[in-house]
Amino acid sequence: MENQYFSFRELCNVTALPSQTIIEIVDQGIIDPEGSDPQTWQFNTQMVSVTKKACRLHDDLEIDWSGIALAISLLEELEQIRHENQQLRAQLNRFITG
Amino acid sequence: MEFKDYYKILAVAEDADNKVIKTAYRKLARKYHPDVSEHNEAEEKFKEVTEAYEVLKNPEKRAQYDEYRKFGGRSSGRQDGSSQYTEGASGYGDFSEFFSSIFGGADPRGNEQREGYGFTSQQSFNQRGQDIETDMPIFLEDTLADASKTISYRLPHRDAEGHVSEINRTLNVKIPAGVVNGERIRLKGQGGQGVGGALNGDLYLRIRMVPHPLFDVEAHNLIITVPLAPWEAALGATVEVPTLLGKINLTIPANSQTGQRLRVKGKGLVGKQGQGDLYALLKVVMPSSTNDDIEKQWQQLASSAAFNPRKEWSK
Repeated sequence: MENQYFSFRELCNVTALPSQTIIEIVDQGIIDPEGSDPQTWQFNTQMVSVTKKACRLHDDLEIDWSGIALAISLLEELEQIRHENQQLRAQLNRFITG
Repeated sequence: MEFKDYYKILAVAEDADNKVIKTAYRKLARKYHPDVSEHNEAEEKFKEVTEAYEVLKNPEKRAQYDEYRKFGGRSSGRQDGSSQYTEGASGYGDFSEFFSSIFGGADPRGNEQREGYGFTSQQSFNQRGQDIETDMPIFLEDTLADASKTISYRLPHRDAEGHVSEINRTLNVKIPAGVVNGERIRLKGQGGQGVGGALNGDLYLRIRMVPHPLFDVEAHNLIITVPLAPWEAALGATVEVPTLLGKINLTIPANSQTGQRLRVKGKGLVGKQGQGDLYALLKVVMPSSTNDDIEKQWQQLASSAAFNPRKEWSK
């Protein structure tokens, strides 16, 4: 299996974002890489996807970075709750039918 | 080519000022943004409102559009040279053919390369290829060990003259054991081709767990609902229960209740922190048919058991 982790520089490359933007996204806690400073940061594939999403929202909806941090965490929570809801519904269905 | 009424799309009056237009756009953009919306046609809608705003916020473009609209598209529309752009980029965003016919084929945003629903520029000289993200449906059984899967996806392809079309690509990929729903697997260099010697984009497989007819998933544990006859619940029983890897014999203790969970250690999914468990969720079911003899036995039971399941209510 190929390496699923990205260095800071690689993340800049794959997202075509300036390093300052990535630093802002990390500072806001939108993504939380392993490692203590940009030289040692390690990002996983999930973080790449979140970074891209954060940028799309930032550009398209003209939301500042702290607003993006809030939006992303609410979206994640929403997704988790939807998923849980779906699971519980499926379980309930098995329980009340048949 | 379909005429687009940008005023209708943004739900604003023809004489709406810029402030009204901006507010209408912002509201709709938030509503239909593909990263936020669950709407089926979110992507299409978002593109449409963005395109409408792009035109109506700009006085020059708006005037040009108003003129076009007034004359039913019979004047001032550019009908030349722009089709190549939209055809080339079909399926990867860009504004509509209608937009191009009036304003030409220039990248409406004039800059960034976007993915998925985005706006792809054809004008770059040295540009990393586009990343592609695609769903990879996986059966629960496939997550127990490394699995080999074939994936087909569509890829933008740029020919020597710079025309972009879509091609189908098929790849064999290894899905590692223990993947979870929503996880993304990166396949380096398998995305869109780079331009001017730049690197290819990557392919991301987004794992989607296919719902199982028998098992539900909770983290790395599996749940199976086990129907029991009332006498099995009362007296206890040994029941054959399916797992992802064959059947096991499960001992049901006497006096079991509906909703009770019995843990079968190590029969769940493969997890990064070890093997999950299987939980048997008990469900007492009544037989659907009866006869006089059975009914008599139930009556005997009713009088001898003296059981009130609604005792709580009378407190």
